[in-house]
Amino acid sequence: MNQEVIEQLPLPEFAKVRYRPWHLEDLDAGQGSSHNPHFAHDGQTGAEIAGQAVAFHHLSEELHEAGVIVTNIQSAREEYQDLVDQVLGKVVDPGRDRLTAANFDQFNTGLFVYIPAGVTVKPVLHLYLDHLAENGDMAAHNLVYVGRDSEATILQETHTVGEGTSKVSIVTEVLAARNAKLTYANLDALSEDTAAFMHRQSNLQDDARVDWVNAAFNDGNVIAGLTSKLIGEGAHTEAKVAAFTNRKQVQGFNTELINTGRHTIAHIFQRGVILNSSSLIFNGIGRIIKGAKGSDGQQESRVLMLSRRGRGEANPLLLIDENDVTAGHAASVGQVDDEQLYYLMSRGLTQQVARKLVIRGFIGEILAKIPDPQTRQDLVNQIERKLAHENV
Amino acid sequence: MKTLKVENLHVNVAGKEILKGVNLTVNTGEVHAIMGPNGTGKSTLSQAIMGHPAYEITEGKITFDGQDLAEMSVDERARAGLFLAMQYPAEIQGVTNAEFMRAAVNARRPEDDQIGVLPFMKELDKKREFLSMSAEMANRYLNEGFSGGEKKRNEILQMMMIQPSIAILDEIDSGLDIDALKVVSRGVNSMKSDDFAVLMITHYQRLLDYIVPDFVHVMMGGRVVKTGGPEMARKLEAEGYAGLRDELGLDIVLTDEDADEDITGGLI
Repeated sequence: MNQEVIEQLPLPEFAKVRYRPWHLEDLDAGQGSSHNPHFAHDGQTGAEIAGQAVAFHHLSEELHEAGVIVTNIQSAREEYQDLVDQVLGKVVDPGRDRLTAANFDQFNTGLFVYIPAGVTVKPVLHLYLDHLAENGDMAAHNLVYVGRDSEATILQETHTVGEGTSKVSIVTEVLAARNAKLTYANLDALSEDTAAFMHRQSNLQDDARVDWVNAAFNDGNVIAGLTSKLIGEGAHTEAKVAAFTNRKQVQGFNTELINTGRHTIAHIFQRGVILNSSSLIFNGIGRIIKGAKGSDGQQESRVLMLSRRGRGEANPLLLIDENDVTAGHAASVGQVDDEQLYYLMSRGLTQQVARKLVIRGFIGEILAKIPDPQTRQDLVNQIERKLAHENV
Repeated sequence: MKTLKVENLHVNVAGKEILKGVNLTVNTGEVHAIMGPNGTGKSTLSQAIMGHPAYEITEGKITFDGQDLAEMSVDERARAGLFLAMQYPAEIQGVTNAEFMRAAVNARRPEDDQIGVLPFMKELDKKREFLSMSAEMANRYLNEGFSGGEKKRNEILQMMMIQPSIAILDEIDSGLDIDALKVVSRGVNSMKSDDFAVLMITHYQRLLDYIVPDFVHVMMGGRVVKTGGPEMARKLEAEGYAGLRDELGLDIVLTDEDADEDITGGLI
């Protein structure tokens, strides 16, 4: 796609989020590498990509022999072109909007994961994508292809490393073949000086299952799209999103699940916490296409406001074009419950500790789904860090 | 010995005076029961002692171990040794029972002597079994989806883990069948010592068959109108609160009488 065509595409629609001032469309993907891992450590299975380099890589002999591939996308394009072609641009339409098109045009880093048919990957695949801020903007494209009857759990962390004001664009395409089972957990931790556009999408074939568990713990401005298309009959997706916003940050989320196949199940569960004068917007979109008989679409989005200066929204949208379905939604924006605080304090907990427990509990159901105890603990520490800055 | 002393206590809730001069002294080593008809201020008294922000003290005071409670926050009162088993405990999603109780136990211990997970769990298991509670309750979210009876047991379990000096039990018997009542009573009785006092609030004499009080106080119209021994509870059960009111010559309308009159009034 040439520049002229890209510039004529519309910007993606994130209702109630004013992101134009971030100039995400002026992306200029930087070059540069770091050869030492910043996050991955011995004993883990997976990879860390830092700029254009693979800083860490480990797969057991057994997984190698089974044909599992975990590498960066540049190498994958050279070595596994046919596999890449089956996913790249096949899950996400490159022309869906201007920011997505710019990603397709510029990406020069990202992760590639391939699980062949009938393979169960037992250890959690730890994937790290480092945005090296000193090299400027990052355009990353992740591809995950989970073959028929295979199973895997991915825990991906996306961090900013180093200082510098920059932009990030990440598009992730996931293809889950017939009866594939994938849990894809994400911890997003980009810095305060990083403005980001993210779009994650999974397409599910018959009886496939993809569970998203996304913890948006960025410190900067972010718009994040998450889409699951339930194309095959009996496909099932659970999309869980936990978000924390603090200071003057804005984070906007479009979480869209599309039931196309018959007897498909699509559930959205979102929890957001707002500190200081930050804004957090959850747009939950459930679409049930005509012909998706016997399908179920549910969504629940809740926002906890810890500050009067913040802004929070939970906007549910259900678009149903089929009669034989079940669907529902719940949304709320509220404050910490005084009766809960009183109860906890009546057992001797200080107000500070009581509040922390209530807040942690609020997103606890999502945290519990993060497939690694150390990462769960890191997230709890992150929450404490954000709460410590509460009155800054 | 520690003493909880309530002196001429007046309390407003939402601008309405509920307590109109309560006097009461509870020492560690003693078991007290407060009885009284509905709407007479029993729960208000317990919430005022614990420090619920909606309960405003307009006159009089409460002291614990010589300290004026008005100067202490809710959590300070708890750490000083007060405990309130609530009638309607809050449900908190995402926080497990065990995690919460360990935080509560540690809140009363010095920074350098916090109880670790393993010794805590051992202690919790012991007390949980004593109360015939299932093992899975430790990992369930705090009070979430608990039945009425499970909530009551959970309050008693917390009391046994936290080991307060004075425990106020607000209608711990309501909604319990006889077996559950026995279990809960066994928990309370196991705590009895010279360093522990109980103040039970109840409608029914039945509870007092299992936890035998040293003192029974009757509240009516926002005051303690009579104090006696366990025999008084049995007399009340037989004669009702209206009988005692008339005997004392009090000019108080009882809530349930009120309701009766309303019904008749509406019909005629």
